[in-house]
Amino acid sequence: MTDTASSPMLEIRHVTKRFGQLSAVKDVNLAINKGEIFALLGGSGCGKTTLLRIMAGFETPTEGAVLIDGQDVSNVPPYKRQVNMMFQSYALFPHLTVEQNVAFGLKQDKLPKVEIEAQVHNMLGLVHMNEFAKRKPNQLSGGQRQRVALARSLAKKPKVLLLDEPMGALDKKLRSQMQLEVVDIIESVGVTCVMVTHDQEEAMTMADRVSVMHDGEIMQIGTPSEIYEFPNSRHTAEFIGSVNIFDAAVQHVSPQLSQLSCADLACTLNVEGGINAIEGALVGVAVRPEKIIMSRQQPQQINNWAKGSVQDIAYLGGHSVYHVELDSGKVVMATTTNTDRHEQRLTWKDEVYLHWPASSAVVLCQ
Amino acid sequence: MKKLGVRSVIAVPYIWLLMFFLVPFLIVFKISFSEMQYSIPPYTDLVSWADEVLTINLNLGTYAYLINDDLYIRAYMSSVRIAFFATVCALLVGYPIAYAIARADTATRNALLMLVMLPSWTSFLIRIYAWVGILKNNGLINNGLMGIGIIDEPIAMLNTEFAVYLGIVYAYLPFMVLPIYTNLVKLDNSLLEASADLGCSPFKTFMRVTLPLSKAGIIAGCMLVFIPSVGEFVIPEMLGGAETLMIGKVLWQEFFNNRDWPVASAVAIVMLLLLLVPITFFHRYQARELES
Repeated sequence: MTDTASSPMLEIRHVTKRFGQLSAVKDVNLAINKGEIFALLGGSGCGKTTLLRIMAGFETPTEGAVLIDGQDVSNVPPYKRQVNMMFQSYALFPHLTVEQNVAFGLKQDKLPKVEIEAQVHNMLGLVHMNEFAKRKPNQLSGGQRQRVALARSLAKKPKVLLLDEPMGALDKKLRSQMQLEVVDIIESVGVTCVMVTHDQEEAMTMADRVSVMHDGEIMQIGTPSEIYEFPNSRHTAEFIGSVNIFDAAVQHVSPQLSQLSCADLACTLNVEGGINAIEGALVGVAVRPEKIIMSRQQPQQINNWAKGSVQDIAYLGGHSVYHVELDSGKVVMATTTNTDRHEQRLTWKDEVYLHWPASSAVVLCQ
Repeated sequence: MKKLGVRSVIAVPYIWLLMFFLVPFLIVFKISFSEMQYSIPPYTDLVSWADEVLTINLNLGTYAYLINDDLYIRAYMSSVRIAFFATVCALLVGYPIAYAIARADTATRNALLMLVMLPSWTSFLIRIYAWVGILKNNGLINNGLMGIGIIDEPIAMLNTEFAVYLGIVYAYLPFMVLPIYTNLVKLDNSLLEASADLGCSPFKTFMRVTLPLSKAGIIAGCMLVFIPSVGEFVIPEMLGGAETLMIGKVLWQEFFNNRDWPVASAVAIVMLLLLLVPITFFHRYQARELES
């Protein structure tokens, strides 16, 4: 997963940040590779923004160290770090024009005027904003401001680019368009990038690797599909996408197929592969709604099935989400794609059978 | 009906300004074109009607007199100079105060603002008079310094131009602090962080971001200090010496000592015209800011 040949561009070692009694970040370790887009994902108050601000230098860690390109910068002030940030509010200087905003950091480096002008032109070209060079920020739309903010934070060729809720100020339609465009720009420049977001879709669209944060700690790090398909905790499974979790007790563990019993189900739960738990332990078994198959007939398999009645249907156009109430009272979500326009779909109060393959379920020990 | 309501609301301040600003101004303007005479009122009428002849007497001599006698020009120049440097001093003292208040946390902020405004609750005259007690030869400062043996002879502070500067800066400081504070408190902290992020040290950030963004507050504060300082009478009268020449003092002397109402009126009119220059400049600037 990590590239061992080259040392990481940004390293967070045992970083803890306390504000008085409160620990915002608790003993976090991270290694972010060169050229990678890395997302810190979590709900509000999970410590992701504090961690980003520690990387930028706006906060100093109470314990631990921050290394950029192998150098300890824990006590280096932000204006001496080769790190640039795109702020959530964009923080464009209202008294300066677009080009002056982009040139702001370059002027600080005492570069010759011609070089500054060339770099500003380059950067504005990269974000397609050259024709707006003479405008003031308040004469731009939200999307245009974001482009300028991105150009400004890339102008100094930082070693690490930090994005704080990059799409937070945009409306939904513009957001999905800008997500891909920002990724294209970042990849064309080749800069290492750390972004903070509370939006899992944004993290999964933009990032190569995602770390899920909760309560100041990192719960899981992995590629978007690893995190979605193999969540390691109840929190991650519930935070990313929707999920059904069955409370179950481990009956038999084997490297091929493990068996669990669940009070909500009449049959045994089968999970492919071994479980890192002893027999008799209480765990959660997670099954994503799109992996559950619904049918009117009783399935052939003897394990991993349930019977219930349709309680709620959310028709979302491309697919529908069915809420099926089992006999035990537990509600299970199942998704179907609406491929056929004329299909006789299941409707309220219909009796249905749910079933899923053993390979679809994930055991959550914590 | 609704329009009538809106109009009557706007009419109230307009009528107020008309009655208590424009009408007195026109009266003063009229007097400045008359001649002094020993009567009640102590000036001639501009328009007289006698024997079916309408006579209009417009005396421009008073204005010519203001130009010819160099006392007035010196007084104007000296007033503008004193007001200018006092404004600069007030800015240098007031800006850090405003900055510190704006950066303080909300609870202390209100207490500090209160401290800035609290002196204004006492009469202006009493506060200036208190400075006499502090600055005079056997006053607080001189007695204190002599008591601990730093100086043998009192330093002459009262009745100097220094005392006038001190008085103006002291008295008008809140008018400098408040507009700058109002401006700085709105300053978005993320702009300062962005500046630091782009390589500016705290000092550079101040010069390149904070200062330019507080320009409107600085200009407003300077106007609020400069304009009343030019015509200030109480401070130069009580703290200044005989050689401190300010137009407010000259105006007072013309009016109450010489009882020359036309000259006093003309002095007032010229002062007003003089002050129109910075005021128009200020308005132009404000209009431009609003446009962009």
